[in-house]
Amino acid sequence: VSGQTGTELRATDAALIQKIVQQDESALAALYDRYASLLSSLLNRILRDTQASEEILQDVFFLLWRNAAQFDPARGSLPGWLTVIARNRAISRLRRHDPSSGEELLETTVIVPANLENAMTQQQLLGRVKGALENLSAEQRAAIELAYFEGLTHTEIANKTGDPLGTVKTRIRTAVESLKRNLLS
Amino acid sequence: MNGHPNRPEDFDLYALGVLEGEEKAAIESHVPTCAECAAKLAEARGRIALLALSAPRVEPSPAVRERLMRQVHASAESTGARRVQGAAEPERSAGFFGRWWAAVLVPACILLLFVAARLRNENERLRRELGQEQVTLQKQQKQLDEARHAQALLESKDTVSVALAQQPGMPKGDVRVMYNAKMGMAMCDGWVEPAPANKSYQLWLVPMEGKPISAGMIEGGSINPWMVKLPQGMPAKAFAVTLEPAGGMPQPTGPMVLVGPIT
Repeated sequence: VSGQTGTELRATDAALIQKIVQQDESALAALYDRYASLLSSLLNRILRDTQASEEILQDVFFLLWRNAAQFDPARGSLPGWLTVIARNRAISRLRRHDPSSGEELLETTVIVPANLENAMTQQQLLGRVKGALENLSAEQRAAIELAYFEGLTHTEIANKTGDPLGTVKTRIRTAVESLKRNLLS
Repeated sequence: MNGHPNRPEDFDLYALGVLEGEEKAAIESHVPTCAECAAKLAEARGRIALLALSAPRVEPSPAVRERLMRQVHASAESTGARRVQGAAEPERSAGFFGRWWAAVLVPACILLLFVAARLRNENERLRRELGQEQVTLQKQQKQLDEARHAQALLESKDTVSVALAQQPGMPKGDVRVMYNAKMGMAMCDGWVEPAPANKSYQLWLVPMEGKPISAGMIEGGSINPWMVKLPQGMPAKAFAVTLEPAGGMPQPTGPMVLVGPIT
């Protein structure tokens, strides 16, 4: 505690993006401090390789530095967008696809149903996401994790688990319905 | 298919990446032509992105941040250099240095000037980086201290959570305060509508006895959690947010926007 009253508030993502457009390096550092942990956790979960995860983490923030002017915070959530880019790049690396630059996703809009700028909200959401995942059956949860963290399609999940394709499709659809219901409730 | 997807979950399935073949192509061909479906897909992407929160927490090494900031700094410098180079272009193309030897001497001089400028810039950059590192270190130490205090506050069984409710006819907001009287600390979080021009929101601790104590100013919009130090051992009955002249007041003078009793 600084000993002062809390008059100093952190800048919003939108304000920091504006500063990055004006080449303010400290604004990028502030956004890195805000979201690096979230992205690092995601990348390590997907890749299970610290070095590769850190390379992508750096690339994603450098992409933000170079293209901040194209990101319109009014159209979507910055952490949501960063998460989509990081996941896309990690899955490409994992599956040995040509590594995407991520620039094709610059126009992607991601609307997160909460404000992830805020550490306390992140913490509350984490509880809700965990609760939503725990509400799924073990098979549904495994299928969702294979899709999200390994980037597998319906057919690939069916091949990996040995379950019929129709079963896998139904399982994932009902899991997604349940997640949607629980995350929005 | 080039119409709306049959089921609303199709957007989530697409965002999850499980669709393939015709199902995937149908969404990709339709969404760019339909604003309503583009919005639904953006929301689905946001819901699916929340799954990232379930990944076990792994902090990146501090070296990543250092490498990133070096890369950014170098990129900013080269952008500046390119601008300078571009600005000089019209004069050179005007043929001022028309003699044959100019083709040798001029590039050599430019190279020398460039090397000298680079060395000077490098020197300045190192000095600036050293200064930045010191500032960063102090900032990180401060953040660490704040994080420790926040953790102690959140873990303490003496901490109470106070939800502040909007008062009739007042701007909308949803603010929560975690308060620990023994520790003399509070943490504030939430959001509130932007304040009118020349006005600020001010948070107050209302003690059981005596006058309200200022707990800091709140900007409109989303509030990032912040810690505030208050007098220790102060029994309080409520927290309140009032609308005050910009910059705040020693005591509340404006209308109460949000109030939350401590039960």
